Amino acid sequence: MAAATGTYEIKNEHGEVINTSTGLSNKKLLMWSFLGSDVMFFGSFIATYLVYRNRSLVGPYPADILDIPITSVSTFVLLMSSLAMVLALSYIQQGRQKMGTFWIFSVVVLGAIFLLFQVYEFNHFGQVGLTPRTNLFGTTFFILTGLHGAHVTLGVLWLIFLGFGSIKGSLRADNAIDLEIAGLYWHFVDIVWIVIFTVIYLISARDVGPPG
Amino acid sequence: MQTTHPGPSREPISLSFPRIIPRPKSEYGIWSWISTVDHKRIGTLYAVTSFFWFLVGGIEALLMRVQLSQADSTLIDPEMFNQLFTMHGTTMVFLVVMPLSAAFFNWLIPLQIGARDVAFPRLNALSFWIFLFGSLFLNFSWLIGDAPNGGWFGYAPNSHVAFNPTNGMNFWVIGLNILGVASIAAGLNFIVTILNMRAPGMSLTKMPVFTWMTFVTSVLIVLALPVLTVALIQLQVDRLYGTHFYNTAAGGDPVLWQHVFWLFGHPEVYILILPAMGIVSEILPVFSRKPLFGYSFLVFAGVAIGFMGWFVWSHHMFTVGLGPAANSAFAISTMAIAIPTGIKIFNWIGTMWGGSIRFSTAMLFAISFIAMFTIGGLSGVMHASVPSDAQQQDTYFVVAHFHYVLFGGAIMAIFGGIYFWWPKTTGYMLSEKLGIINWLIMLIGFNLQFAPQHWLGLDGMPRRIFTYAENMGWENTNMIASAGGFLMAFSVLLFMINVVYSARKRVPAGDDPWDGRTLEWSISSPPPHYNFEKIPNVEHRDDFWFTKHPELIAEYYHDEHSGELTAPSGAQFDDDVAEEEDEHSEEHHGDDEHGHGGIHLPDMSYYPIILAAGLTIVGAGLMTAVPVIVIGTIVLLWGLLGWSFEPVNDPVPDSH
Amino acid sequence: MSNFWNKLLYHEGRGWWDLPRTQWQDPNPQMEGPFGHGIAPIKRTWEIITAANYHHGTPWFYVLIGAILSIITIVEVWAFTWETLGGLLIPLMLVLSLAKFILVVGFFMHLKFDRKYYAWIFTACMIIGIGIFVALLLLLEYGNQTQQ
Repeated sequence: MAAATGTYEIKNEHGEVINTSTGLSNKKLLMWSFLGSDVMFFGSFIATYLVYRNRSLVGPYPADILDIPITSVSTFVLLMSSLAMVLALSYIQQGRQKMGTFWIFSVVVLGAIFLLFQVYEFNHFGQVGLTPRTNLFGTTFFILTGLHGAHVTLGVLWLIFLGFGSIKGSLRADNAIDLEIAGLYWHFVDIVWIVIFTVIYLISARDVGPPG
Repeated sequence: MQTTHPGPSREPISLSFPRIIPRPKSEYGIWSWISTVDHKRIGTLYAVTSFFWFLVGGIEALLMRVQLSQADSTLIDPEMFNQLFTMHGTTMVFLVVMPLSAAFFNWLIPLQIGARDVAFPRLNALSFWIFLFGSLFLNFSWLIGDAPNGGWFGYAPNSHVAFNPTNGMNFWVIGLNILGVASIAAGLNFIVTILNMRAPGMSLTKMPVFTWMTFVTSVLIVLALPVLTVALIQLQVDRLYGTHFYNTAAGGDPVLWQHVFWLFGHPEVYILILPAMGIVSEILPVFSRKPLFGYSFLVFAGVAIGFMGWFVWSHHMFTVGLGPAANSAFAISTMAIAIPTGIKIFNWIGTMWGGSIRFSTAMLFAISFIAMFTIGGLSGVMHASVPSDAQQQDTYFVVAHFHYVLFGGAIMAIFGGIYFWWPKTTGYMLSEKLGIINWLIMLIGFNLQFAPQHWLGLDGMPRRIFTYAENMGWENTNMIASAGGFLMAFSVLLFMINVVYSARKRVPAGDDPWDGRTLEWSISSPPPHYNFEKIPNVEHRDDFWFTKHPELIAEYYHDEHSGELTAPSGAQFDDDVAEEEDEHSEEHHGDDEHGHGGIHLPDMSYYPIILAAGLTIVGAGLMTAVPVIVIGTIVLLWGLLGWSFEPVNDPVPDSH
Repeated sequence: MSNFWNKLLYHEGRGWWDLPRTQWQDPNPQMEGPFGHGIAPIKRTWEIITAANYHHGTPWFYVLIGAILSIITIVEVWAFTWETLGGLLIPLMLVLSLAKFILVVGFFMHLKFDRKYYAWIFTACMIIGIGIFVALLLLLEYGNQTQQ
């Protein structure tokens, strides 16, 4: 605060002058603010799920239908995609283009596998008799996980776009920030799943309908 | 192991996306407006659009006033009346006060913080086009005769398909979701702009109060609108696909919608009023010719309101039956939020105290803002008391309260802001004579309409009824209120006459007609395309005013310059300051030349409007048929890909 | 504010605690902080694997974090099958997923290495979000009890 004019020119970790008052990248600040906004979005849905927990009037209830082992595998896949994402960013930042491209497409593949798990799960639930129209559990479950899946799909498309950019050479160390904000988005989707996995699967997998 | 592309040049490799329409270059004509990314033009577009909706919302209000002016009136049937009050509320909140504030944000924030544009100009354009299409989508429901009819709050079991099978609420749900996207995008943009684009030396504590209030508002928009989006998505899937979020027959909670809606709705109230508070905080010091009293308290109070506004939502639901503990907690938090509001009012009065006040139109609007907002605030504190609220709930007392806050508060301040900044945005003055008549009639008409509604409410007249019986004794009061409504409409007409009249007369305003304080008055009127030829260097709060009146720096900044003050010669002190300023500005100018290689502004782009159109078509498709969704998605992808591949400036000289 | 803590915690002879000079005031002390030399090797290892000077970690560091995340997930699923947990299940799950959350946010999203601004933004949003949604859940829970 003391050196009033000194606030404008701040160098980032690579010694480049960042032309903003805070020294933060515009894009990264935008992404973090957007993630703050998304916290409220998923927070509202998770709160709705918790409000309606154990209040379905008819079955199937979570205990009849949720399959913890399978979802654990898909959770693991999504966690590993997060790891791949951070490695991709690390290599792109170092200018190691081939490794970076490899890891970006690893994220795409892992994300796609996660989505396939979700498609399988939705299909399976539909066959067993749980649809969004069945009961409150179905409604809250499908809309929450479905919107999470939509976020994952968007992330996969974004990363495919960036992956081709990396192949063509338009995504390089000097604009790695584009990959970094995509990575922030991806990790955020991952932590949302961490919460969903805990709240919907682990905590309420033994719920057998309303008490009494 | 180095980069796999060691190619000869380090130029970024640009991928291209086929362009169907060439990128517009001309600064004139319709295309230059459609594809503009200039924050000033976007601000003008926001202002014109939302003023149009202001007229539409006003006509809706007048129709209701005509209907209510006498007992047992049969002019409007109950269904029509429901549609009118729903669309009046929705229009005024989402299509008028929010975008009118956004018009001020767009016009003023880059000028006040000394920037050449917002952080993301194309995103800014996208916000506007989504807003425009969303507002047209919402009002399209009038044309098919099926306007939303569930109230601007759309209480859920009532707006559920079982009780409300027509298409109106679908328009409402999807339209508001589209508008929400626009608001969130704009909010994010302004957060980044205010944090990152400030002129050198402008620390957070030196920002103008309007900029501060915009920042708080943007944070509230970014955090509150997603909650509304969630509620709307839930209602939408309920209505369109038969899920059970708000279906009480399947165990849905009838109170959940109220909670989620007011979780959004109460921050929304502050989204509406904080920009107005910012505008007033800019007008008052200028026309009192002294700095704002208690800047830090005013800013802190604004931030405190923004935070506390999250924890008062259940005061909209005191009569739901939350239990005494919850009601008490929310009564206390609601009363507590009056404290920062009171601080602000005292600060504004303190600003005027001892100043040499000029009663221009803008100042008169600002002063009447304080008075009307205080009345509305006091009746708000009355609602905070639970037993008192139980009496007032759903009566015209509440209607009077929030119109005092939103019309007497927000709209009065916005009109003041229009009179204040009109010379800056156009280069000529609005007629002060007509302006003062406009203000007087608006103030009288407003009080004539809404003051009697306090009595009507306490007398038990419920809100949202389309008529009342003859023997209730409400006729005369309602007649007076209706007359007041028409007086207000006349004042708005006077404003439009003033605009046309002044546009014909064109009394040149000059750069700084009011002896302004903030940076926007330091540049020409209207501002050039690039705003600031040289990015200014900010030393003080109200820097431009102190540049004009350097002799006053010592008076207001005795802390910082206490050493210099003891020096016997004031002239010496002034020279020092001038020297310092020159030094800094030279220094920075040099950097600027080096960094930018001159002034670069982003080129025009038509992808924002394509993206916005795609989004709206998808919204329309949700109500009609899958092929429409597919078409919308294709348009959306076209806009998105074109946008991603499009360089900000065409020949790519831009290095950052 | 930082000045306040400096005055309170460090005794350089100018603060409020005008203590005599100690070896910690050497121009380049080996190790600062409350644990002294005890954690120096740990800290050195930490700096190497996180490559702290470059504001991000080394690939092996991220792999390590990924391994920890996997282990926590396995523990979660294992604990889920443990029938005797009863009422402890929910708190345990919340703590474990909170740990995962913090690891991802702190290291994968670089909040630990990055400028504190981002951490403030995200934390502020989380605080408001958690605050209002916990309040909402309590309200609805409470409302149900009064109805019965």
